[in-house]
Amino acid sequence: MDKVTAATLADHAANSPKQAALVRKIRIEINGLSLKRAGRIILNRLNLSLANRGITAIIGPSGAGKSSLLRCMNGLVNDWQGEIIIDGVASKQWPCGADALRRHIGLIAQKPTVFPCSIAGNVLFGIRGKQRRQDNGELIESCLKQAALWDEVCDRLDHDAQTLSVGQQQRLCIARALAVKPAVILLDEPTASLDPRSKNKIEASLRGLATSMPVVVVSHDLDQVRRLGGHTLFMCDGKLIEQGNSETLLSTPQRVETREFFQWSMCDCPTDAEK
Amino acid sequence: MANRCTQVLLILLALPALAVPLACLIYLLMRGLPGFDSSLFSLNFSSAGFDDKHSVIPQIMGSLALSVLSCLLALPLAIGLSLYNRLYAGPRSKLFMQHLLTSFQSIPPLVYGLFGLLIFVHFLGWGLSLAAGTIVLAMIILPVLTLNTIHAIERVPQDYTDAARALGMSASQIIWHVWRPRAWRSLLTGLFLAVARTLSETAPILFTATVFSGASWPDSLLSPVTSLQTHIFYLAQEAVDENTVARAWSSALVLVTLVTMFSVIAHLLNKRHIKHG
Repeated sequence: MDKVTAATLADHAANSPKQAALVRKIRIEINGLSLKRAGRIILNRLNLSLANRGITAIIGPSGAGKSSLLRCMNGLVNDWQGEIIIDGVASKQWPCGADALRRHIGLIAQKPTVFPCSIAGNVLFGIRGKQRRQDNGELIESCLKQAALWDEVCDRLDHDAQTLSVGQQQRLCIARALAVKPAVILLDEPTASLDPRSKNKIEASLRGLATSMPVVVVSHDLDQVRRLGGHTLFMCDGKLIEQGNSETLLSTPQRVETREFFQWSMCDCPTDAEK
Repeated sequence: MANRCTQVLLILLALPALAVPLACLIYLLMRGLPGFDSSLFSLNFSSAGFDDKHSVIPQIMGSLALSVLSCLLALPLAIGLSLYNRLYAGPRSKLFMQHLLTSFQSIPPLVYGLFGLLIFVHFLGWGLSLAAGTIVLAMIILPVLTLNTIHAIERVPQDYTDAARALGMSASQIIWHVWRPRAWRSLLTGLFLAVARTLSETAPILFTATVFSGASWPDSLLSPVTSLQTHIFYLAQEAVDENTVARAWSSALVLVTLVTMFSVIAHLLNKRHIKHG
């Protein structure tokens, strides 16, 4: 598919001028992104442009390359061909190297991984050097509030983070990613295998985050994509097939591949996580 | 009935494996314990000797010096190699490195001893010295220590490494804050096992580091040392009177106690490592 230029702002962010002003200005251009693994094509000359959005959901069948796309954007995977340009700078030539790029583009994995230390220690885990030695109480509070976890853990910040429920651990991972002050947050199926209550809390947290930064979510849950609103990309076989406003794309898909995927999804086919 | 037969068969197979070392240990205790007296551990010594009046303190110190120094030399190299293997080596290099280290492990220590004799003692002219013995012992334990460190790092869940990398942590930060807390206990276990291994080696230090008498504590790295292993070897070969033979058995018991002590520490650390996941 030819390069598609995305809309300027997420719907809900654009609705409010105040919120729109808070959205960080970031533009990610992906040109001809290709990735192979063991001879298999994972991403196939993918073209995409993400600019100052609220929430962007990426949907598609298993093996479509959604998670790989996030890993390429974050710099966890580097052996791809093509171009990823972030704010006019090629990601492979990112100033101060790949580590700095990964701090700029936060990534939260599908499986919550908390380190074997306290809740506060986990929030500050990515912060090292001088900043770590300062009083970071406010930072911890603000990150946990943004991740909708503060109310549940404010009285036990020194407790072992591994005693939290899976849903709380996932929100702690979000708080941890926010603590290094990324310009954009990428989430790979953040609510897979979570109960509805935890899902709601994470969705609330994402909607809050999207008012101040672009949030990209890979999801198999079409209801969740509808609830999150914003923009949706449909990927299949490593290519971007279709994109548009979430509500419009989910109700009136234009491409045959998208329609077929929605029919499959309604049959409750298993997600990557369930497999 | 079939289960019962299998159980009996396995016990019969296991018995010799347990009984032989146990019999050795009991015999060692029977022969070694009567020779334990104050003179054995006397701090009043001028140089190591071979009669039943001489203390084995110089030999114990010599053995420990060789073991500790060789481990101190091998440990940073093992850590460096394993970190290179984990961070930078490709899949083929990793496999090659692991095969190479496994092969090095199977080289008889005597060959390392001969190598040390030719290179350090004769070619470099160091003579029998603490330095030559230390390097040869370090070469012997380097493969086992490296493989142990590689496995210790590999046991740190990949999810932790990925999560830390996704946060933009540098390789050195990941090593220090993610791998070190999870791997140090396993690394220490390997280190104590390596100390025990160096204490058991005789042939390599016989060629490169030890003398039988006339030395107490080495003045420098280029001085020769005495060690428990070679002391026992010499006493067993040369002693004619009963008291000196008894001293050989007592020295052997001291050596076995030292090796067991380091093995037990390694075992305890490993148990705690498993308990703490």
